[in-house]
Amino acid sequence: MTYLDSGATSFHKPPAVYQAVRRAMGNYANPGRGGYPAAMGASKTVLKCREQAGAMFDCSAEQVVFTSNCTHGLNIAIRTLVKPGDRVAVSGFEHNAVTRPLHHLGAHMVVAGRKLFDWDDTLEQFEKALRGGVRAAVFTHCSNVFGYILPVEQMAQLCRQYQVPFIVDAAQSAGTLPVRMGQWGAEFIAMPGHKGLLGPQGTGMLLCGRSPEPLIQGGTGSDSKNPGMPDFLPDRAEAGTLNVPGIAGLSAGLEFLQRTGIERIHRREQREAARCAAGLKKLGLQVFSGDHQSGTVSFVPKGDCEEIAECLARQGIAVRAGLHCAPLAHESAGTLQTGTVRVSFGYDAAPCQTGEFLLALEKQTGEK
Amino acid sequence: MKACMITFRSVTPAQRGEGLLRRAGMDCSIQRTPRWMEEQGCGYSLRIRCQDVMPALEILRSNDVSFRKVYLKRENGKMEELAL
Repeated sequence: MTYLDSGATSFHKPPAVYQAVRRAMGNYANPGRGGYPAAMGASKTVLKCREQAGAMFDCSAEQVVFTSNCTHGLNIAIRTLVKPGDRVAVSGFEHNAVTRPLHHLGAHMVVAGRKLFDWDDTLEQFEKALRGGVRAAVFTHCSNVFGYILPVEQMAQLCRQYQVPFIVDAAQSAGTLPVRMGQWGAEFIAMPGHKGLLGPQGTGMLLCGRSPEPLIQGGTGSDSKNPGMPDFLPDRAEAGTLNVPGIAGLSAGLEFLQRTGIERIHRREQREAARCAAGLKKLGLQVFSGDHQSGTVSFVPKGDCEEIAECLARQGIAVRAGLHCAPLAHESAGTLQTGTVRVSFGYDAAPCQTGEFLLALEKQTGEK
Repeated sequence: MKACMITFRSVTPAQRGEGLLRRAGMDCSIQRTPRWMEEQGCGYSLRIRCQDVMPALEILRSNDVSFRKVYLKRENGKMEELAL
């Protein structure tokens, strides 16, 4: 299979990730609860991963809260900052992981910046939204549909200038772009562990710049006589047993990234995405590409996007079609009715993947 | 050798502290805090040599690792809280 759906999850993980998961399952007990070797081994693995993440994302180990995915982290962050009726600035490229919790809370979303690959528009509209008065801002670092990398550093700067607390959704950027908690001054940054960070599914992290409101309450192995949740991080937002095998795998993924270098991975993904976009344009398709683009490309095929993806799947090509859980992004790009086919490269991006995909698509287009 | 115990609210600061003190060349070991020492219930401690306790606390403070209390093991075997 030619796997081009890394925006959904990383599929072929580095071998060390599988080994770490297996080792953890065979050797570790519950972390932070017991004092015997199997429990302490689990705790050590968890702390190692927190420290790796802290070093990679410019925060302390205690600020790293493990979640079950990025959506989980975003829910904690949004519920901490936003109350019903609040006005909240969001970019025009948000995922349902952001918009649905805001909708559920009854927040009023001020959508700012809808032009793809246009930093001037994004920043101008975003500042206008902040000037208009908002309780908080939530924005993605990189669109999951179009690979548009938003100017997060400047957006963070604007938020600080207008004293608006903000949350960054790093679902598509953690592991391929620099994510800097301390430098940006974010209240929260949420990320999955299983995409660019190459860990197993069921892992995620929420970097906390302030004390979060826990989504769930329960045992933490600390402060046990307190009827409420502990007031210190990370325990405050980590009720219940952690996913130790998942965290062990995530730690191995982070180690791989550290060794390989995220810049190198980003360049490789970007190069293939650009090659892919050029090939798609040659086929006469509507392709969304531009400056500030990651390793993800979307296009509108000739025919129904889901049927095209299905035909590609039969030829061993894995891509994602439809609305990608991001109707707001599709609305911004004018593809809400048609949807798109998304090609997203991973850390193992290679010219042969692009070649095989384009060949399969060309063959299919010829058959139509 | 006189031993001291530094108590922590949870495993994360205790383990961070363990790493810092070991890197500073101090001999220490992590263990569950005896129930009577931890009024809030459940916690972890670092056992270190008493002569290391003041520099150890300094290292913990300067790295923002929060600890709760320090206990000294007397020659009769009893532990006594040190006033800091």
